[in-house]
Amino acid sequence: MIVDVAVTGLGVVSALASGVAPFAEALRAGRSACGPPRRIEVPAGAHVAEVVALEARSVVRSAVGRRIDRTSLLALAAACLALDDAGLPHDAAGGPRGGLALSSAFGNLSETETFVERLLARGTGNPLVFPNLVLNAPLGYVSIELGVTGPSAMLNEQEASGEAAIQWGAQLVADGVVDVCLAGGADEVTAMLWRIHQETRTLAAGPPRPLDAAARGACPGEGAAVLVLEPLARARARGARVYARLVPDPGFAVAAPVHGWPRDAERIAAGLRARLAGVDAVVASASGAPALDALEAEALAYAAPGVPVTAPRGAIGDFGTAGALAVVVAALAVAGGFVPPTPGCRTPRHPGLDVVRSTARERPVRAALVTGLARGGIVRPVRLEEA
Amino acid sequence: MPVAAVTGLGAVTALGPDVASLAAGLAEGRCAIGPLTLFEHGGRCRIAAEVPDLPASASRGLPPATARRLSRSDRLALAAAAEACRHAGLEPPERAGVAVYVGASVGGMHEAEAAWRRRRTGADHRWRLSRLVATPVAVSAAVVSQALGLFGPRATFSTACSSSALAVAEAAAAIGRGRMRVALALGTDGLCRLTYAGFDALQALDPAPCRPFAADRAGLSLGEGAGALVVEDLEHARARGARILALVLGAGIAADAHHPTAPHPEGAGALRALRAALDAAGVTPEAVDYVNAHGTGTRQNDAVEVGVLRTVLGTRLRRVPVSSTKSQLGHTLAAAGAIEAVVTVLALETGLLPPTVNLRTPEPAWGDVDFVPVPGRRQPLRIALSSSYGFGGHDVTLVLARAH
Repeated sequence: MIVDVAVTGLGVVSALASGVAPFAEALRAGRSACGPPRRIEVPAGAHVAEVVALEARSVVRSAVGRRIDRTSLLALAAACLALDDAGLPHDAAGGPRGGLALSSAFGNLSETETFVERLLARGTGNPLVFPNLVLNAPLGYVSIELGVTGPSAMLNEQEASGEAAIQWGAQLVADGVVDVCLAGGADEVTAMLWRIHQETRTLAAGPPRPLDAAARGACPGEGAAVLVLEPLARARARGARVYARLVPDPGFAVAAPVHGWPRDAERIAAGLRARLAGVDAVVASASGAPALDALEAEALAYAAPGVPVTAPRGAIGDFGTAGALAVVVAALAVAGGFVPPTPGCRTPRHPGLDVVRSTARERPVRAALVTGLARGGIVRPVRLEEA
Repeated sequence: MPVAAVTGLGAVTALGPDVASLAAGLAEGRCAIGPLTLFEHGGRCRIAAEVPDLPASASRGLPPATARRLSRSDRLALAAAAEACRHAGLEPPERAGVAVYVGASVGGMHEAEAAWRRRRTGADHRWRLSRLVATPVAVSAAVVSQALGLFGPRATFSTACSSSALAVAEAAAAIGRGRMRVALALGTDGLCRLTYAGFDALQALDPAPCRPFAADRAGLSLGEGAGALVVEDLEHARARGARILALVLGAGIAADAHHPTAPHPEGAGALRALRAALDAAGVTPEAVDYVNAHGTGTRQNDAVEVGVLRTVLGTRLRRVPVSSTKSQLGHTLAAAGAIEAVVTVLALETGLLPPTVNLRTPEPAWGDVDFVPVPGRRQPLRIALSSSYGFGGHDVTLVLARAH
């Protein structure tokens, strides 16, 4: 038996805004968080999307949690906000019928950098830091803080890491394995990551311009989003607000260079076509990186001509788990009846594409699709429908 | 959970470049832990279970520029995956819909460390993308998918040392629930300085080859490698005439929610995972014939693990052989779950129990447990468990059964 999966809580910690209501308002207004650095030490003219206010003391409860790293803290804060938003206590995912699915593209970058610098300089590792460097550190910390003892997993799918984790969690609910699942992802930005982008020439000179004809690069960002997923019937029975129904989907793969973007947009379009049926909004993966944007614009022009498209990485910055926030954008679109504009996009790079610009499109959204494109030919779409 | 068939195996380990060399090394009770040669390390430990020669043929099917950029983890993964597909008799036309589930924890860190050193010393005046593209752990799945033409769904799990047991569990669930017909479950991790120095700094490494379950056990030995299993719908396998090597009867996944590195003192998560796996498999503790243990050789892990087995198996533990493959292959981290699943399938298939090597004096309190002394022995098996526990308390147990 397949159980319908409801999205009943949204937790967002983003450079754009934290908390779902301020995040929705900023999206709707078309604001962008891509701006001058405030936290990391990079040149003043740089563009980066940073989460500035993040206090461990306000979310960490356990003694072992005092050593929490920043990426894990982003995930934990988003998980707590999601439970609050769902009207559930923080131990609601505890017990054998609770699940946890998280993701991170790079994990705890800041402490990894410190550790490897010392290792290369002195030849020794720091035992206090090492336990935080495993990619599943966020999974460990969140499970400890929220008492999750049921099925849990950390997933990584490069640019589609957030979508991959959310779909793994949705499958647990759909299979009837758990009654509540927290699912999402977190990534942080560091000065070194920014410098790597700069030196490998993948940065936009100014603000990013996703899906714009003049797009020249992405804006590194950070943030976290976690969803509360429950069986639809259970959500209804407890009188929970249901943002949307999430359609479980394992995704698909296409031929592609191992380290790059697929070259055949038609294959992506063919894979997405059925998933786009009846969709009133597409939440794109485009970041302003020319190769990705060109591929996605062409694929969507084939598969979804005339459907409004929005690309939130122009607002929240680009990072491996930005897709988790893209799923939040889609849930808000379905629940709130609006497609937010794409900051930075003035002239769409493809004439067949209806990119929402300048002002939000207020209209009923019966279904929305997050495309979930990633390097290496993996596609992890997430379709949300009116409940 | 409906059963899934295992129809292909692949492995690249310190015992050799394929399953045949692994099986031979296991049967001989050979310990593959030797001097660390891959990089310099100034700490207290200088040994590891290294894969001596990475198969050069592994990058066949990829453009030369891509092949040059493969990480150590990628090469291990691709060799094991290619062997498993060949073993299963999966021809290219049948491969297109195959799902790929990978467990990985270090990705291209070994290569990233080299790039980092070049940038620090000025050998590279700027970071070069070509030296960093292999870093993310998801790349190995892309390598396997693109090189072998496996274009079904793809996922990479990273729960430290239980990562690829989770990949096997995911494959079995996808097959058992009818979502997929064929899936490749894979675990891969190459050695790198970060993990080596980290475990050494934690004083978790034994300066001598690890001695799981021994009274004087003093930590783990790190290793590297990859293991791969083709997991398939039983009817699909029969219909295409594939040889069924073993069955995956069930899997259990649970968390300790206790500590970032230390296991729960009573093994709460490990116990839940074991019980959930038996439940899913519809198997009683009395039916278990063999346990391929997590068995790292650390004081804490082995104590918790024997305690969990005693809780579940009770007095029957005396009659259930328990062995640790890590005593021969070292701890291959994210690859361990898949490699040990391969070892368990071999044991079920051949009835040859792999031994726990380096074990001279078992912990006195466990004198009643049969840790399978060298050289192992022949004993018909029907049902076996393979357990994997990861940092952060992420535990997975698999229940495997003989095919016939």
